[in-house]
Amino acid sequence: MIGRRLPATLARDLTALVSYGAVAVSGSLPLPVLPLVPLAVVLSLLGVRPFGQRGAASVVVLLAVAAGLFGWSFFGSLDLVIAAVSFALVVVSHRLLADPTAQTTRQVLLTSLLVLAGGAAIVGDVTFAPFVVGFIATASWAMSRLVLDGPDGAPLPGVDTAPARRQVLVGTAFIFVLGVAFFVLFPRLSWSQSRRRATPGLAGGVTGMSDTVRLGGGGGIKSNPRVVFHATLDPDPQQEQLAAYWVGRHFTRFDGREWSAPSTAEPAAPRVLLPIARQPGLRLDVRQEIELTAAYDSRTLVALDTPALFARAATIGLKGMLPTTLVHVPGDQVYASLEGVQLAYTATSVDVRGSDHAEPTQQTLELPPVDPRLRALTTELLGPATSNLEKASRLERELTRRYAYTLELPGEVDDPLADFLFDRKAGHCEDFATALAIMLRLEGIPSRVTTGFVGGQRVGNRYHVRAGDAHAWTEAFIDGAWRRFDATPEDGRGASPPRWLATLTERYEELEEWWRKRVLDYSFQDQFQFVRGLVRPPPGAGRDEPPDASDEAVTPARWGPVALAVVGSIALAIALTRRRRVHVASSFLAAVEARLTAAGVDPREAPLEELSLRLAQRGHALSAPLARATRRYLEARFGNRPMGAEERRALLAGLERRPAARPG
Amino acid sequence: MTAVLRSLVARLRRALDPGRVLRVTPMGRVYLVLTVGIGVGALNTGNNLLYLVLGFMLASIVVSGVLSERVIWDLSVRRILPDGAFAHEPFTLRYELTRKRGHAFAVQVKEAAGLASEGAWAPVVSAGEPVVVRTSATAPRRGPWALEAVEVSTTFPFGIFEKKRTLRVADTLLVYPRRGFACEVPDQTGRRHQGDSSGTRHRDGTADVADLRELVDGEDARRVHWRRSAALGKLVVVEREREERRQHVLRVDDTRAMEALDRDCEEAAGQLSRLLAQGWDVGLEVGASRIRPGGGVQHERRLLSALARAGYASEAAG
Repeated sequence: MIGRRLPATLARDLTALVSYGAVAVSGSLPLPVLPLVPLAVVLSLLGVRPFGQRGAASVVVLLAVAAGLFGWSFFGSLDLVIAAVSFALVVVSHRLLADPTAQTTRQVLLTSLLVLAGGAAIVGDVTFAPFVVGFIATASWAMSRLVLDGPDGAPLPGVDTAPARRQVLVGTAFIFVLGVAFFVLFPRLSWSQSRRRATPGLAGGVTGMSDTVRLGGGGGIKSNPRVVFHATLDPDPQQEQLAAYWVGRHFTRFDGREWSAPSTAEPAAPRVLLPIARQPGLRLDVRQEIELTAAYDSRTLVALDTPALFARAATIGLKGMLPTTLVHVPGDQVYASLEGVQLAYTATSVDVRGSDHAEPTQQTLELPPVDPRLRALTTELLGPATSNLEKASRLERELTRRYAYTLELPGEVDDPLADFLFDRKAGHCEDFATALAIMLRLEGIPSRVTTGFVGGQRVGNRYHVRAGDAHAWTEAFIDGAWRRFDATPEDGRGASPPRWLATLTERYEELEEWWRKRVLDYSFQDQFQFVRGLVRPPPGAGRDEPPDASDEAVTPARWGPVALAVVGSIALAIALTRRRRVHVASSFLAAVEARLTAAGVDPREAPLEELSLRLAQRGHALSAPLARATRRYLEARFGNRPMGAEERRALLAGLERRPAARPG
Repeated sequence: MTAVLRSLVARLRRALDPGRVLRVTPMGRVYLVLTVGIGVGALNTGNNLLYLVLGFMLASIVVSGVLSERVIWDLSVRRILPDGAFAHEPFTLRYELTRKRGHAFAVQVKEAAGLASEGAWAPVVSAGEPVVVRTSATAPRRGPWALEAVEVSTTFPFGIFEKKRTLRVADTLLVYPRRGFACEVPDQTGRRHQGDSSGTRHRDGTADVADLRELVDGEDARRVHWRRSAALGKLVVVEREREERRQHVLRVDDTRAMEALDRDCEEAAGQLSRLLAQGWDVGLEVGASRIRPGGGVQHERRLLSALARAGYASEAAG
């Protein structure tokens, strides 16, 4: 019996697994819940059903789990939605391990639907989309199996349900088309604003602005293509690849192995105006709307060089979007008070070249015990340079020219700076930045190491900055202002993921961007625009003036769902109304008639049975084979006695004889 | 004018009547509650992913309605009645399902009214390939049952809704009285013997010759064996080896109240079964109609049919 039920059980288990996946990708499920469903599916498919006979006892366990989860939610840190979804997953696991009856299958499917809805409430990534699609496909399959298996709960042996499966497949395709149409047209008349949520995801954070920069570490992050933040710039430079430095933290103290920074913080405030921007008459140049993603994994704010103002910060987490205050650590960093999965804020940067900065602290000149060869090397690299600006520029250029960029580092060494400059003569950005900073200090020029990101790829109307764009460079205080010097060779500054990974990531990001724009942020205004676009021509149509570029960009996407719905409807109509497959007996009849015609007998003279009798009365040569063919046709067509291919050939061969005139 | 108006209203009602009923299954009820819940959640939060899930759920409902309509559309049913059915005893009722075009899936057929049946179920019905399905039904009482219509339903494709259509398929099923133990001894007044075999001394029959004896007074002269009588010079008759043919005519008064009549018929059915099993020829008098004594299966059917129809001259049982 279980063998006959296997397809239905498999469909059910897959549905449960897909709904589980939809929430598991959020990375926010409690650890004890995470392995439950996969484990239950494996055990279920192996036929292990511990809850088959222990209904009452297992219900008590379920109640205890519910009490635990909701207690954790009310008195602990677990989000209520996560608690509810976790409990639903526990119920799904429990039902998977009960006897696979029609009743338990229904329970699994309906609870899985609840889990999917929970996933919709907590997951915002495009990763949710394949799970929705998968759920509809597997749930349709499982539900139709349940219906087709009938009252016995198992398919009848020998019954071919292939036509039913085909129809369910067509129905499922139509669900996709119609579901998208509903999504597009269902009025967005929400009585409260959507509280945007974010989950950490399974991959977790990758960068993390640490409090120190320790030399000798690996540079694996350079090949990581994950986006750590998006930025919208105003004014928009309209460049595909942005050549910009995004400042995160400054480090002034170096102990020969590690850079660190003071941590005397100012009181938290809704906005932070950095000292550079307090100067009268300074023009604020670039306004940035920045969203730090879960991959960023830090509360430190970044902004284009040179940051002047941070404001309107909000953390986005499981509880939605919450405003947060900002904390300024003078000379070091600005960070958000609240922790969240994502962080959104605005920043404004200025071009400070030629401006007067506050005098740097003494720490920017402090030197650790350094290798005696370093001073000689510095002198050698400086050459004839005299001014501080010339010295810094020359050191930057010489380091770039003489030293190679590499991510293959040996690990911890006693003096990483000496190891870089005199032994390996190759290193990554932190080595170059440190070498330049220390050489500048040897020359009495205040310097510091700055960590952040370099670059930015344009996707849609935003710039994406990746984990691989993480970078470190040097800033020197020259002529009253902090100036940036980057000694790292050009090829080591930005992200350097493998080509295939970069392409893949790029496609994914385009999809994510489309998803965010067309699905997550789809609003009543978009609906209004959509409907207006259907009833009115786009602006400029029929006139001589050129159409607006933005209209051109929007129109195809606007018509996309309509085109999809139309194509889907046509496909469905064709599928539903297409000519049914010709019955085997009917095609046999056609072949018989063709042979009769070839033999000079008009098959339309009378119905086949009557024609057969008439030919027999006439003593026609084809009367005997025609009688046999007629009988088999009737049996095959109406008597439920199928005709084999061999038999069909033999019967038709009998009719291919030419009529021979009988004597008399 | 009123008649015309009434006719128009009737026509309109017929035109508007979809001829089918939509019922939500228990699973469908939960599904609808979840749909409403997710809809409220989507409206409350403005979460577009909830709208997306809601869209797919609504689409499933629409598709469910369209596909189930295709199943019960163009489906015809022929009822195949059993040879005999006894009241209160399950009997097999068969239906032949046919389609002219396309396929029907997960079809359930049951009587629209009267008989208690589980419903026959066919997973697939394809055009040009009639499918015969069967179910077990039970009639609560004897009599000619007018079976007017069958209900054809399906929960295809997703089991959310059950779409039901009532097809007019008129038949009459004759239900015999309940077979049971006849607690009463057959009325002695109904006992008869074939021919003149009522005489205790006489044996009668057509089998082997048992004896020759002289004709006695009052005996039927047709039994005289003339050749032996001529040879012997006296009238002799032949006695043959044969068991006495015992006959019994059961009587049922069909003027009694229906409930009492049902009991009488059940009793008579029990008695006739017992008598026939004992080798009696059994006849029946129900009101003015009579059936001469006889034996065998066909005769038993005739008797049972007469009992089934007793009291139902003009009306049907169900």
